[in-house]
Amino acid sequence: MATSSLRDKYCIVGVGETEYSRHSGRTTRAMAVEAVRKAILDAGLRAADIDGMMSYQNGDSTPANWVAPDLGIRLNFYMDVLGGGSSTEALIGLAMGAIEAGMCRAVAIFRSMNGYTEFRIGGTGARAAQPVRGLDLAQVPFGMRSAGQNFAMTFMRHMYEYGTTSEQVAHVKVAHSKHASQNPKALLKDRVTVQDVVSSRWIVKPLHLLDCCLETDNATCVIVTSAERARNLRQRPIYVMGVAGRVSKPRTDFHWAHGPISRVAGYYAKDIVFGQAGITPEDVDITGSYDAFTFTTMLQLEEYGFCKKGEGGDYVSSGIIELGGKRPNNTAGGHLCEGYTHGMNMVIENVRQLRGTADDYCPKAADGVHTYDYGPRMCRQVRDPEITMNLGWAMPPTGSALILRR
Amino acid sequence: MPQPAQYRGMALVIPDNDSEWIEYFQHARQHRLVMRACPACGLMRYPPSPACPWCMGLEWTWREVSGRGTIHSYEVVAHAIQPGFKDATPYVVVLVDLDEQRAVPTPDESLRIIGNLVRPDGSMESEREVAIGRRVRVMFQDVVDHLALPQFTLTDEPPVGRVWRLPE
Repeated sequence: MATSSLRDKYCIVGVGETEYSRHSGRTTRAMAVEAVRKAILDAGLRAADIDGMMSYQNGDSTPANWVAPDLGIRLNFYMDVLGGGSSTEALIGLAMGAIEAGMCRAVAIFRSMNGYTEFRIGGTGARAAQPVRGLDLAQVPFGMRSAGQNFAMTFMRHMYEYGTTSEQVAHVKVAHSKHASQNPKALLKDRVTVQDVVSSRWIVKPLHLLDCCLETDNATCVIVTSAERARNLRQRPIYVMGVAGRVSKPRTDFHWAHGPISRVAGYYAKDIVFGQAGITPEDVDITGSYDAFTFTTMLQLEEYGFCKKGEGGDYVSSGIIELGGKRPNNTAGGHLCEGYTHGMNMVIENVRQLRGTADDYCPKAADGVHTYDYGPRMCRQVRDPEITMNLGWAMPPTGSALILRR
Repeated sequence: MPQPAQYRGMALVIPDNDSEWIEYFQHARQHRLVMRACPACGLMRYPPSPACPWCMGLEWTWREVSGRGTIHSYEVVAHAIQPGFKDATPYVVVLVDLDEQRAVPTPDESLRIIGNLVRPDGSMESEREVAIGRRVRVMFQDVVDHLALPQFTLTDEPPVGRVWRLPE
């Protein structure tokens, strides 16, 4: 497959985040404004340079055209799409398209959510009380509503087909907790063991409590513009090599009808994104495989070819995905430990890794000076990474992917 | 049909213009499990949908199925998020391969349906009984006068394929 004609033509030039917390005490509008502003300043841009804005949400946030004017931004293009996980990568691709079409020149993409204090991502409270209609009638009346409940039968079938064990996938949480211990921003900074994970209480079998991600309040932002423009900005440009957005399995109305149900959307996305980038999994230095649950990280890593299908349990428990390993995953701690943003914090982390400025405990981290000591409360910068890959997850049948290089 | 139907604290909404579900639940109320079948290509589909996913045909007939099948996968909910399910934990949700149309029209496709694993009296079955490969049959749980939910209960038939459950 020929590489994409847009490979290396667009860059992520700015990133911004609020605190990851369970107590924002403010509106999604106020948080979005902070994250977008930080990303603009990070890029070395001015408000007048931003003329595109996009966000994703599920009726739980503030639209782009309410956020932009707070910062004095006049928009030539804006769009808010429905969705959660897998949206970040897809919107980066759409922003490239909008710029390519001449609609605008620089796009700020944000996700702002009070995922703990307002709209619990775990599905309790207001979400659990929603009326049940349409396709939801095929599963919600049977007590299958939350993300964990929606995905658990996929994970269970993977254990049946491949012999995957709870202990193997627990290593995902162990690795991400190690990474979070080197991240001052992470909500959970304590390292955990496999035993901690498998002895935590059951939520929905085969998921223990510690197999599940956090619920947090936060906003995050990335800014996309042309490579030409990026070369004159404040940060080292981070180039988009390939992107795949919300690639899906057949029958997303009821994906159970089309198996194997242990197969996830990466099966269909991998040829698109690797084809655009002209690389293979072996070329990737850092992965950002979405960790809504320990299992989702594993399922995507094997589906995209970082190991053989069915060998994900061995892969994630081998040490490869830990800092110091061959190809660490979610080096900021991800959704399991840093905070829950529906995927954007994992893209932000990979941008920082490629810049060499992971914001760890190293005193001169902002200047790119690191110790590479991966002990607790120390360094989380990978040594000279060149290529990263984000594997975004919406649900078993839908995912996105993004390959970046420095 | 009076709206909504209340079940375990949930409002189940099936308005008169719900062209996908309304007849399905009318059949369920008569304790019949029916699927939409495409007159053009003959394939059945679930959940009920406006077009045939294999040939785009817009016509359908309702075809009753046996309601017998095999557990393809399952989960055990220990921590309910819906308040009406709190007193039912731990409860089992099963994905059932119905006997009709298994591995058709391709080896990866099957007619599958989701329900709770229940005892013949309608109460939640013990999680110790569930396993991939075990055989089940449909039974109907009457919710209100006009609505019943299809559920599944274990049978004595020999299992299909390898029997497996999550190790304790």
